[in-house]
Amino acid sequence: MHQTLLTVAIIGYVAATGLALAYLVQREELLHRLAALATLTAWVLHTVALLTLAIDLGRPPLASMPEAVSVSVWVVVLLEMWIERRYGLSVLGAFVLPVALVFSLQSTPTRSLIGPTLSGAWLWVHIGLALVGIAALVLNFAGAVMYLLQEHQLRTKRPGTFYYSLPALATLDRLTYRTLAFGFPFLTTGLILGVLWAGTAWGSVFTFDPLALSSYVAWAVYAATLAGRAAGGWHGRRAAYFALVGFAVLMLTLGAGLFLPGKHGG
Amino acid sequence: MALFVAGLSHRNAPVELREQLAVDEDKLRELLGDIAAAGVVREAIILSTCNRVEVYAVADVPGEARATTFRQLCRHRGVEPASVEAVLYTYAEGDAVRHAFRVASSLDSMVIGEPQILGQVKDAFALAQSCEAVGPALHSLFTQAFAVAKKVRTETEIARHAVSVSFAAVELAKKIFGGLEGKAVLLVGAGKMSELAARHLVEQGVFPVYVTNRTWARAQEMARALSGTAVPFDELSTALAAVDIVITSTAAPEPVIRREMVQRVMHGRRGRALFFIDIAVPRDVEGAVDSLDGVYCYDIDDLKQVVDANIRERVREAHRAEALIDREVAKFLAKQGDVEVIPTIVSLRERLEAIRTGEVKRTLARLPGATPETREAIEALSTAIVNKILHAPITKLRESSRAGSPRSWLELVHELFGLTRR
Repeated sequence: MHQTLLTVAIIGYVAATGLALAYLVQREELLHRLAALATLTAWVLHTVALLTLAIDLGRPPLASMPEAVSVSVWVVVLLEMWIERRYGLSVLGAFVLPVALVFSLQSTPTRSLIGPTLSGAWLWVHIGLALVGIAALVLNFAGAVMYLLQEHQLRTKRPGTFYYSLPALATLDRLTYRTLAFGFPFLTTGLILGVLWAGTAWGSVFTFDPLALSSYVAWAVYAATLAGRAAGGWHGRRAAYFALVGFAVLMLTLGAGLFLPGKHGG
Repeated sequence: MALFVAGLSHRNAPVELREQLAVDEDKLRELLGDIAAAGVVREAIILSTCNRVEVYAVADVPGEARATTFRQLCRHRGVEPASVEAVLYTYAEGDAVRHAFRVASSLDSMVIGEPQILGQVKDAFALAQSCEAVGPALHSLFTQAFAVAKKVRTETEIARHAVSVSFAAVELAKKIFGGLEGKAVLLVGAGKMSELAARHLVEQGVFPVYVTNRTWARAQEMARALSGTAVPFDELSTALAAVDIVITSTAAPEPVIRREMVQRVMHGRRGRALFFIDIAVPRDVEGAVDSLDGVYCYDIDDLKQVVDANIRERVREAHRAEALIDREVAKFLAKQGDVEVIPTIVSLRERLEAIRTGEVKRTLARLPGATPETREAIEALSTAIVNKILHAPITKLRESSRAGSPRSWLELVHELFGLTRR
């Protein structure tokens, strides 16, 4: 049941992504409305799919990487819809949905769950918090990409599609800052819980696990960006580049979880 | 009776001819009076701007009406009719409707999307109304043209992007800073264009305004004009630190704003962006300033480039506007068409209803013993027959009017059913 729903939801995300990209280029209001409608519909189906799965499993659908990634896509789309309405950022979908789509295609195969070593309520909290953090950082990435595109347009002084369709630099800079400020505490708490849990469950914090190690690096990059912004007055381009680097490491982290052998994936 | 528009515009007529033909308000009244006196048009509106002179009219014989109208116009303006005749365009019926919509929506303007034309069309309409030259046909055409123009403006971005250098500067500032409320501007040097750009910025909420100039008196004068503060010229770099937008327009042969200066200023700004609008030729801001992080610098050529891009953008939006107008023309014609056939449909119904009630009455008179059920059945039967018969001709009339050619069908229906003309 949930598999069918999930497939339909992904088809909905594909449609939404196509419409959002078409809107970015055409700037036809109708395309935006259709994209928003497709996004909402797919997200509702996704919600039902996740609930059905949780009921079938009798636990939160967070025990395997594909499950966790699917939930993070769900959070990403939720945040995307909220920010789009809140800030009137109608082109946001064109930058967020493709990422969400790549994620959800990754998460479709039902890989075997790693059951035995997983237990304890706060494990769910660890995964859940990390996922919300990651979702916010997807938005952070989208904001940074938009910022760099708009900044490039303004520097080359040849207005093109992005000049007309993207919002002001200040708006985009605020978006990257706020998504980072929102996501970072979640990521941090999630990581701390993970470290504590690893200490008790695996016997050592420094057990070789690709996902864990890679996530420390990602955390460090984001921590540096946040510190730079708060204390060093970093702005604009530099902050945007750091957001790209942080996101790249974050993707490595997820890739490690999905494809490399380790205590997280399987 | 037919609608037509005839005229000449910037598209095909040279400016010399346009200015010769342009008519002021008093002359327009006179002209409308003369045209009415000639008795060839039922309704007329004359639109006269520096870019076009057009007559929108409803006449029984459009060709004759057109010729008479322009003869009058040429006589009034002392222009040789032959020279006008050569460049005159004429649109009839649906094409005239489309032309009216396009003109009011500023799609036929020299600068697409310019806002003045709608006001000019409204004035022409009001003037013709005050001369009692507007009847129902032009009234519905023009009120609809105003509505379409508004729709084009809100549903497309035809008028959204700046097509003047000073507005382009404001638009760029918005693309950098988002809202401009509370952003500070510094004017370096005086000049009409920089003053204009500053005024546009102030309208968008830019505050405070600082003015500096090598000549202190000139700085004070300009500061007064813009409700700003004059700053001594040697405090230029201090002022740079305090503002977000700088408009430069000095007559200096060398750049007055150097890279080192801006670099120092940027250190203290904690990443706050600085936007230079350099209207001076030769340039006031050194070219290398541009490469600094958080600094954006547009010289006059860059601004023109933005204007060019915006014009291309308007042309692109104009294609969408044309599609919108196509739909609006079709809707308008459909409505008009219905208006044209409705009287016939009504009299057709009345005619058949009269026959039906007459026949039912006679039949019932011959059936004194009929029960209420029987009477009801006869009523229902006759009504059903009439409706079935009416269905095809009414549908055909509506269709033909939507296709734009109801006249022959109207006549046919009148003949066939023996309807009297109203």
